[in-house]
Amino acid sequence: MIFEIADVIISGLINGSVYALMAVGLTLIYGVSKAFNFAYGSFYSLGGYIAFLLFGLSFINSYFLVFLLAAPILLLFGFFVEKALVAPLRKRDDWEIKVMMITLGLALLLDNAYQVIFGARMKSLPPFLGGAFEAGDFYLSHQDVGIFFLSIGGILLFRWFLNNTRTGMSVRAVAQNPAGAQIVGIPKEFVFAATFAISTVMVGMGGILLAQKYFITPMGGWDILVKAWVITAFGGMGSIRGGLYAAFIVGMLESFVGWYFGMTWTLIVLFAVLLTTLAVRPQGLMGKWG
Amino acid sequence: MIKIKDLNAWYQDFHVLKNVSLTVETGQVVVMLGPNGHGKSTVLKSICGLVEKVSGIIEYESESIIGLGSEKLVNLGITYIAENRELFPQMTVLENLKLGAYSRSARASEKDNLEKVFDLFPRLRDRRSQLASTMSGGEARMLAIARGLMSNARFLAIDEPSLGLQPNLRDEVARIIREINDQGITLLVVEQNIPQITTLADKLYVLEEGRISFEGSKEDALGNDHLKEIFLGM
Repeated sequence: MIFEIADVIISGLINGSVYALMAVGLTLIYGVSKAFNFAYGSFYSLGGYIAFLLFGLSFINSYFLVFLLAAPILLLFGFFVEKALVAPLRKRDDWEIKVMMITLGLALLLDNAYQVIFGARMKSLPPFLGGAFEAGDFYLSHQDVGIFFLSIGGILLFRWFLNNTRTGMSVRAVAQNPAGAQIVGIPKEFVFAATFAISTVMVGMGGILLAQKYFITPMGGWDILVKAWVITAFGGMGSIRGGLYAAFIVGMLESFVGWYFGMTWTLIVLFAVLLTTLAVRPQGLMGKWG
Repeated sequence: MIKIKDLNAWYQDFHVLKNVSLTVETGQVVVMLGPNGHGKSTVLKSICGLVEKVSGIIEYESESIIGLGSEKLVNLGITYIAENRELFPQMTVLENLKLGAYSRSARASEKDNLEKVFDLFPRLRDRRSQLASTMSGGEARMLAIARGLMSNARFLAIDEPSLGLQPNLRDEVARIIREINDQGITLLVVEQNIPQITTLADKLYVLEEGRISFEGSKEDALGNDHLKEIFLGM
């Protein structure tokens, strides 16, 4: 019993850490540019597929190389998508809705492209660490520990970037006061595209990390989009700290509900919690809507 | 330094500025007066690339700058200091100032400018790690001016520095504006609640209903009873 509960807590922590990495990316785009990216889940799958392709190359033999190569690919991809699809809409009326529609279209396009290129069957990635810590009934794989620390490391790296680099400061400036950012000469359009690109890297990396445990499928991103959305709304749209708390709460909730009631109940409970939170506190945990 | 001819500006379909012409020579302090909501801020913002729909001629050092975005203009040395300050609330005083030096031309001299600004506003030095949102109105105003100075500007457009300021700080603002000008920065100031600033002016403009209704020296303005009574409060 004790070990079972420990297992559940650990699995909640690990999933929570990856969710945190991904939800921070989604909340970041919203906080900075007020755009909502419906293709976010498909970018998650993209991370997995890029890793799958990279592992197919003969000279790629470690996850280190995969991360090293996947990050710039995802960064460029995100930057290009923002410039080509999102930025042109920003000048129009009701652009927020139009951005939702176009990213939704992109998601469908990408998911079907995955299906055509890779087929409908699941793809898997090799675990990046073998072995486990074992003590009696207690079992904790090195892979899970690795995933946890890489996610947390990613979030810390992102925090460092926001606080200590010129580009990071300009991202915060645009999020806090777009008019002020324009006055000091920050190129807003570049910041929007950079933010979008960074969030693409975050969710794509999450895709690579989780693909080792849950496989890659063409439609696998939707589940992630829904969860990232729930976490973002739950934590408060645009609040990074709220997103972090919410991600771990959702991770824990999921693993406890899955363990106690069965996996089919997790989404139902998740939405019940979301609806209750929003009924009591429409702005989310740490929220700032609008 | 700045030369505007037949400037028109719109917010969506609302025609705010109608054929405004104005010049600011290097080293001058030019003050613009006029009732609220008649377009004074829009003139400043148009120069600084913050109004989307403009037409006419705006020249800086005899080169056309109309239509350039604020990121290019700040880099050229043209900076706007907003009436409502537009600070970054969740950042410290120091971070706000550092962002003031965001443009490429200001980066190299960031350290020197920081010292200069702290000398000009000693209180900001004490409060450098305080969040901008926790500052009083007067301190926030000083921070907004200081952030503008960090950009290495050669031309500053200062919009109503007295807004939200307690009356006893007005002398202080006038002193600072004089000091900034003494450092060789050319100024276009919208301000009518601080007579000391009007006294500093090399030239005065009055903007009414989007048009320039008066242009001249302060002596001319003082000779004009209408102006004297309404705008100068003397």
